[in-house]
Amino acid sequence: MLSQSSIERILTAALSRGGDFSEVYIERCKSTSVSLLNGVVESTGSHLDLGIGIRILEGDKCVYVYSNDLYHEDKLIRMAQNASASLSQVESGKTVYLEPQIEYFSHKYKIAPTSVSKSEKVAKLRCASETATAYSSLITQTSASTAANEKDVWIANSDGLYVADHRSRTRVMIQAIASSEEDKQYGYFGPGSAQGHEFFEELDMDDLANQAAKIATTMLSAKPCPSGKMPVVIGNAFGGVIFHEACGHALEATSVGIKASYFTDKLGQQIANPLVTAYDDAKIAKEWGSYEVDDEGTPSQTNLLIKDGILNSYLIDKIGSRRMNMPSTGCSRRQNYTFAPTSRMSNTFIAAGKSTPEEIIADTEYGIYAANMGGGSVDTSTGEFNFAVNEAYMIRNGKICEPVKGATLIGKGNEVLMNIDRVGNDLKLAQGVCGSESGSVAVDVGQPTIRVSEITVGGQG
Amino acid sequence: MDNQIRKYIDDLLKAAEKEGFVESEVYYESDVSMSVAARERKISQFECSDAAGLSFRGLYNGQMGYAYTEDIHDEMIPFLLSQAKDNCGVLEVKEKITVYEGDKEYPTFESFTEELTSLDYDSLSKMALEMEGALLDYDPRIQAVDDCYTMYNESELYIKNSKGMLCEARTNSFDVYLGCRAKENDDVQTYGKSWCFCKLSEFSMKDCVEKVGKRVIAKLGAAPVPSVKTSIVLDQSAATSLLAAFAGAFSAESMHKGLSRLAGRIGETIANEKVTLIDEGMIEDSPFCIPFDSEGVAAKRTVLIDKGVFTSALHNRKTALVDGLESTGNGFRGGPKGALGISSTNLHFENGDMTQEELFAKMKDGILITAIHGLHAGINGISGEFSLMSEGFEIKDGKVGKPINQITIADNFFDILMKVEALGNDVDYHSPERGHTQSPSLLIPDVSVAGE
Repeated sequence: MLSQSSIERILTAALSRGGDFSEVYIERCKSTSVSLLNGVVESTGSHLDLGIGIRILEGDKCVYVYSNDLYHEDKLIRMAQNASASLSQVESGKTVYLEPQIEYFSHKYKIAPTSVSKSEKVAKLRCASETATAYSSLITQTSASTAANEKDVWIANSDGLYVADHRSRTRVMIQAIASSEEDKQYGYFGPGSAQGHEFFEELDMDDLANQAAKIATTMLSAKPCPSGKMPVVIGNAFGGVIFHEACGHALEATSVGIKASYFTDKLGQQIANPLVTAYDDAKIAKEWGSYEVDDEGTPSQTNLLIKDGILNSYLIDKIGSRRMNMPSTGCSRRQNYTFAPTSRMSNTFIAAGKSTPEEIIADTEYGIYAANMGGGSVDTSTGEFNFAVNEAYMIRNGKICEPVKGATLIGKGNEVLMNIDRVGNDLKLAQGVCGSESGSVAVDVGQPTIRVSEITVGGQG
Repeated sequence: MDNQIRKYIDDLLKAAEKEGFVESEVYYESDVSMSVAARERKISQFECSDAAGLSFRGLYNGQMGYAYTEDIHDEMIPFLLSQAKDNCGVLEVKEKITVYEGDKEYPTFESFTEELTSLDYDSLSKMALEMEGALLDYDPRIQAVDDCYTMYNESELYIKNSKGMLCEARTNSFDVYLGCRAKENDDVQTYGKSWCFCKLSEFSMKDCVEKVGKRVIAKLGAAPVPSVKTSIVLDQSAATSLLAAFAGAFSAESMHKGLSRLAGRIGETIANEKVTLIDEGMIEDSPFCIPFDSEGVAAKRTVLIDKGVFTSALHNRKTALVDGLESTGNGFRGGPKGALGISSTNLHFENGDMTQEELFAKMKDGILITAIHGLHAGINGISGEFSLMSEGFEIKDGKVGKPINQITIADNFFDILMKVEALGNDVDYHSPERGHTQSPSLLIPDVSVAGE
């Protein structure tokens, strides 16, 4: 690994000509995975990622270079010098010295995932596959997998900051497919945690397998979802993807900082129904999206985004902080060293309200109950978002009725937030992977059961 | 590629043999790239990279185990071999997998354009600044160009195995992305598009600026339409996105795993007789040509649907062996980290004989769909169902009318193959929306549209 003095020389070279700030990010990540199809081990992986990213800022202009050759300091120095020369030709004479290293342990795992034999993991995954298959004769395929990593990062910058962090994440996935002659439907769960192998060990996979199989078989008998504008009750946990897409992305400095977001200049204004309070909280112990220190070396924090419908805070990284003249909120993240970091979400959720889920359904005369959501996407300039519903039912006269399939919900972020007219008391988080400018990062979405008074539902019915 | 890496790979293959691997293979890929972004008539970002990854796979106890490293160093040889061997210990793949001895001949082609290597920070910056400026000046309603990138990419691929096969390729390209935001009254619209070029002469800045500028302005004032069942024309870009999203259905691996509705249906009519679908490893004008797949099988041309009849699946060597066929040269890894699977190359519907205007005239009234969103979530890749947020334009009496947004279109991909009424003649290999797939515009009747 590069020594502190090597890092100082690289940071100095990065400011040798242009630039007012330089930063080095070094990463070494061991990952392991195994996946089963129909109970048979189909693939396994063992990866070692290693690399360095050097970033130079001048105002809000960014230069980013990366390499995975950490053995030739001279080459890295040359890269840093060239990057600096792209900003200015004049020699600066600056020298960077680092403070003593601060060491963080974002994820304190008990059992290192790479230390556990794959056959132990296979045994549990196989059990879960068998459980899903046994659920119903309609279940024709299953897949079960786990992937985990142990990542060490070192972040140093020209302000003298020198940080090390140790991270570990474990994720498990189970999918069941139910088939009829003409149709195939699936049910899926993918829980994850910022822990080591102990998370996998303690997880009740049979329960997940049964739930996934239940969704698949239920959806197989579903009729096509009706389309048009109607009230939709969205279930808790992964239902929070609606807030993630409709609001979260548009609060990131990536779009607010360049005034592209529809929430630009809206601090202190009402942007959601007064029932809505929402957080982005990277400090929840063991949560999949949590971390102690962000990828710029800033300690993480609990960010209150919306309080009683009023916009309270954005998600701001270093460049965003320069553009918006506001402090960083400790949310700068990246997939790995091949990406410059930018403002991202961590664990983002709508806080619990007062209604029970039963009350919300009973209070809805006609509409859709979206029990389980799929993924989605958003355009943060126009606010237009879309996401898929994996498990849905009709609501008639305050009762959950027959299942419907193939539903997509679309709308505009600013409108849907105002249209949230019920917030339940059953807050739950769920895990996902969010893709954006700085790659794919682990995030939690979450919410209690909520109702949107009117939203466009797309379906074949 | 430097000799040190070649020697490292040779040492690794030798060490694997000593460790008891019956067969072994190394897959090495390195990428160099440089990109410049312009915003508000200034350079806002400059990125430069030089990175490589190495994957080892070896046959041990009848299983093919993989391991990957970016730390390419002598000390990593034992890591790679022990990890691969461990992985062999748990794998239960029934099919026999071997490494390939190589083909006698490979197609020759110019995958590397010397002219492009002259692209540097200065020339990329100049183009980005000019292009961003031109788009800002295109129309006063264009508020900002949020994404304007010019990028040079160069990659090297090197596959060597214990059966003496050696496949090497070097490719480069020049990529452009242009995305902007327009505003009129309170209405904001965005549009972005990417291009990939192998020759600088193919790039016309004026064309790129006009395509993006014209479209974003045309989108101003877009509104939903009432829910309706109607004919639609999916334009080249929307149809390409849809085909790419369902391309997996043609993989023999999906069929063997029971994850494709096309399993066991070779010889059946699965599409309208107007439809011919081809996968072609080497195609003139496509920036995505590679003379061999990740197993070292020479690039081929495979007709998947011939005038409506399902004629072939996409195979790698493993699935071909199971079905008693030859590989179609589609054994690809998703990068050096991925295990070997199946991917299409230049997958495309054969052009029809109608221009887009003629498709509109034939449709008379309906909707032109110019973009579909949420393909990572809003489709069922197995059943073929989809329900996707879309945008486009009203078509009235064969003429393009008002812009439309905030609608969804819902149907089934396999039904669409059957009911497609006409295909356009507008396949464009320079606008890769999703990977290497291409489709002309498609006229499709009776599609569910959800709106107001």
